[in-house]
Amino acid sequence: MAQVNPSAPGGEIIVEAADLCKTYGGIRAVDGVSFTIERGEVFGILGPNGAGKTSTVEILEGMRLPDSGTARISGIDVVENPRAVKSIIGIQLQSTTFFDRLSLSEILQVFASIYHRLVDPLELLAQVELQDRAKSVFKDLSGGQKQRFSVATTLVNDPLVLFLDEPTTGLDPQARRHMWDLIKEFKSQGRTVLLTTHYMEEAEELCDRVAIMDQGRIVALNSPDELISELLSGGFHKERAEKAANLEDVFLELTGHALRDA
Amino acid sequence: MTGFFNLRTNTTWVLTLASLKMWYRDRQAIFWTFFLPLVLMVIFGVLNFGDFGAVDLGVVDHARNSASRSLVSSLEDAEAVDLFHQSGTGDAGIGILEREQLALEDGERDLVVVIPPNFGETGGPVIVDVLFDVSQAREAQIGQTVIRQILDEMTFASNNVPNRFGITARPVFNRDLRFIDFLMPGLVAMSIMQMGLFSVAFSFVQLKNRGILRRLLATPVHPASFLFGQVVTRLSVSILQTLVLIAIAVFLFDVKIAGNMASILLLALIGGGVFVSLGFAISGWARNEEVAAPIANVIALPMMFLSGVFFPRTAMPDVLVSITDFLPLTYLIDALRNVAIDGEALWSQGWSILGLGVWLIITVVVSVRLFKWE
Repeated sequence: MAQVNPSAPGGEIIVEAADLCKTYGGIRAVDGVSFTIERGEVFGILGPNGAGKTSTVEILEGMRLPDSGTARISGIDVVENPRAVKSIIGIQLQSTTFFDRLSLSEILQVFASIYHRLVDPLELLAQVELQDRAKSVFKDLSGGQKQRFSVATTLVNDPLVLFLDEPTTGLDPQARRHMWDLIKEFKSQGRTVLLTTHYMEEAEELCDRVAIMDQGRIVALNSPDELISELLSGGFHKERAEKAANLEDVFLELTGHALRDA
Repeated sequence: MTGFFNLRTNTTWVLTLASLKMWYRDRQAIFWTFFLPLVLMVIFGVLNFGDFGAVDLGVVDHARNSASRSLVSSLEDAEAVDLFHQSGTGDAGIGILEREQLALEDGERDLVVVIPPNFGETGGPVIVDVLFDVSQAREAQIGQTVIRQILDEMTFASNNVPNRFGITARPVFNRDLRFIDFLMPGLVAMSIMQMGLFSVAFSFVQLKNRGILRRLLATPVHPASFLFGQVVTRLSVSILQTLVLIAIAVFLFDVKIAGNMASILLLALIGGGVFVSLGFAISGWARNEEVAAPIANVIALPMMFLSGVFFPRTAMPDVLVSITDFLPLTYLIDALRNVAIDGEALWSQGWSILGLGVWLIITVVVSVRLFKWE
């Protein structure tokens, strides 16, 4: 967890959000959100339901227009040129399905053709450990497999930035750990990842920096370590001392780390 | 970037191919597209429903006197006969004769009775012409018997010389038009309508509902590329339906295709376009399948029965005929029937093609306005 600088990262800035606002029916879902992400970072947006995480991410992806503010990916204005932005990013939607009567390989080829690319579906599937399911259809996959396949479809254009919206929601502990490994793998490949999550331990494990959102605003933005230090230095004491392990560790110790859906 | 001309990286081509694959793998779609119209054709073709029912009789009254009116009213009362009496038009049946003859040729009448000007006058022989459809032997027989009976009764009633009336029976055409010949173009048009409405409306509502369209929206794909593939798939299916149904009709039921095959397929394409965009309009409007189904049915069912798929629209009340003149399925059926069975040229169907063109514009505009990605 190297990043400690919240506002001005030292490296090349690849995602830029400046004063984004979005109102739905009188409710300010996104209320003046600004942050930057540098190349190679894993950046997390945390927050309770309805905090504006998804709306913020959708504006950055070019899926939704902001009422005001600007967003740029790799210098390209999202509002002015959403199609150019979409061609250099990969978007995993919160819940999605794919064509019924195409195999996983065929779906990947269809998605690749959208970017005028040729891909080796087996290689992409191997990256998410689905190479044995190349001929399966999406609806026959387990929850974790579906989520992994959904991630695989975002890789067809070798994206600069990956947007993962709650990638582990609803997964069992093994599948979640597996998704974590996948995200760490993306980081080691030098990809930039923006993810949203409800799980604090996930953010702590994966993210270089996190933005905590509430009621459409960013209420804190720093590395997880720094955020914890800030809290402790303010005199915070946990009621119960943290044990060296938690129940999830017990569960994984008993049931193993191997994926259960293969 | 491997370039636009490499087919494997051409988005529109790959999406079209994928759409064709998905359709081909959809057993249910294939069933509804081919099997149902085939079953209907076999049932109606074998049972020959068209031969049931009363004799369709047309009257051309050149006399217009009390005697001829009494003959017409007797024919109206006869139970075995359905009388088509074109009253109130023109003078002394001129032009009406031609129209009745045309109706006879089109299979809308089994017989036409022509009452001569000297009907009911004394002196000179009175010859009543009976034109009949030779392919409807049974109806022609029944009809002639009924007419002869009525004329005999009139003779007795007037206490005049017997055999004052003579009947000349004249076969009008020997084109062997059977019910199946009438039915086939109707079924082709109906199956194109069903395919367009239901297959498009259902699959698009599903794509929309399950977020598949939204996932595509997360890519730089141009909507036109995606829609193009979907439309090409459906139009190919409408061509395939037409070919399969015609092949079955020709080989199984010996239907003779009098018209030009290219013209028939062109009509199938235009009709397919109208119903596919109508399907898109429904899928744009409907939130889910439960809403799409009744809407598609509300549009399809009345047309199925009012546009003359199974029986000539002339059997309906005049008001209904003039309303149903403007239905898209009516235009398609009329044009298909005239071209395929009656062997008329495509250009002679300008009115129906214009009608379909207007419907195409309306449905495309509506579907573009209603279409939503999520």
